[in-house]
Amino acid sequence: MECEHIENLLSSYLEDELAAEDKRAVEKHLASCAGCSVLFDLLRETQESLAEFPQAEISEALLERLYEIPQRKRKFRLNLDFLVRPAVQPYLAVATVLLTVVSFYLFNPEKSAIDRSINRQIHLGYSKIGKLYSEAETFTASLGEHKDNILETIKSKQPFGRNGD
Amino acid sequence: MLVNTYSRRIFSLSYQFSGTREEAEDMTQEIFLKLYNSLKKFDFSRNFDAWLLTLARNHLIDEYRRTKWEKKTRDEFDEYRLKETTELGPEDAILREETKKRVWEGFNHLSADIRMAVILRDIQGKTYEEVAEIMDLPLGTVKSRVNRGRVQLAKVLKEQKEKENGM
Repeated sequence: MECEHIENLLSSYLEDELAAEDKRAVEKHLASCAGCSVLFDLLRETQESLAEFPQAEISEALLERLYEIPQRKRKFRLNLDFLVRPAVQPYLAVATVLLTVVSFYLFNPEKSAIDRSINRQIHLGYSKIGKLYSEAETFTASLGEHKDNILETIKSKQPFGRNGD
Repeated sequence: MLVNTYSRRIFSLSYQFSGTREEAEDMTQEIFLKLYNSLKKFDFSRNFDAWLLTLARNHLIDEYRRTKWEKKTRDEFDEYRLKETTELGPEDAILREETKKRVWEGFNHLSADIRMAVILRDIQGKTYEEVAEIMDLPLGTVKSRVNRGRVQLAKVLKEQKEKENGM
């Protein structure tokens, strides 16, 4: 128990930070306890060797990678700069409108009703086209029937200006 | 420039903490990325060194907890370039180098917070007050962690010496 208490004070004792009473207690214990005395010597040895650890040498490759970090960040920023050019603004405006319309359609809670309405309009368009097509066919057929009469009428007419000869 | 001033210090801290060059290089790069991303948030009334070391410390400990480095082995101590200990005789220099090697390997026995406190105090040479600021801990807690770390490392040395002496 006492050894454990003394262990907690060893660094402060080593660095001469203990109050006089604690210092005397540590010295007394170290003089009588071989285990703690060895431990204290090793603690001092540990601290001295740690103080001599050098700064590690950094590799050239790592240094280059570190120098590149701000440049990479700058490049990334330049790549986005084109977005603020005035010439790009009309395209961005069109893209915004399109996105708004598309998202209005895609995320509209009445999407199925809109789909039905669009289908109905498409069908109406198709039937109008079909109707026009059949009317055109009827007209072509009636032209075919009256083709001979029309040709006769044209032939019987005197060309312009001959009546006066 | 930030890289010139701080890269060696951050790399050393990462290497001492993680124990492998590969991890330390990745960590240093990630810390600098974070640094550039957080520069705008820096409060100029604060000490920049302490702020950067806090950022590095947070990143290293978070990664340590996420990836469990303690299960990995550390690089051989020979790969760590030693400062010349010219004031010692050749025999003492060999013994001191042997102790450093054991202490280096002993770091794997320390928890992340204790390991960081010991590195900042004893290798990086910070005062207890500076370590407390970097680790955002009360002074007493820092002193206690540094002492526990040193005692644990001393016990590792003791065990190894006892094994060698056949005890």
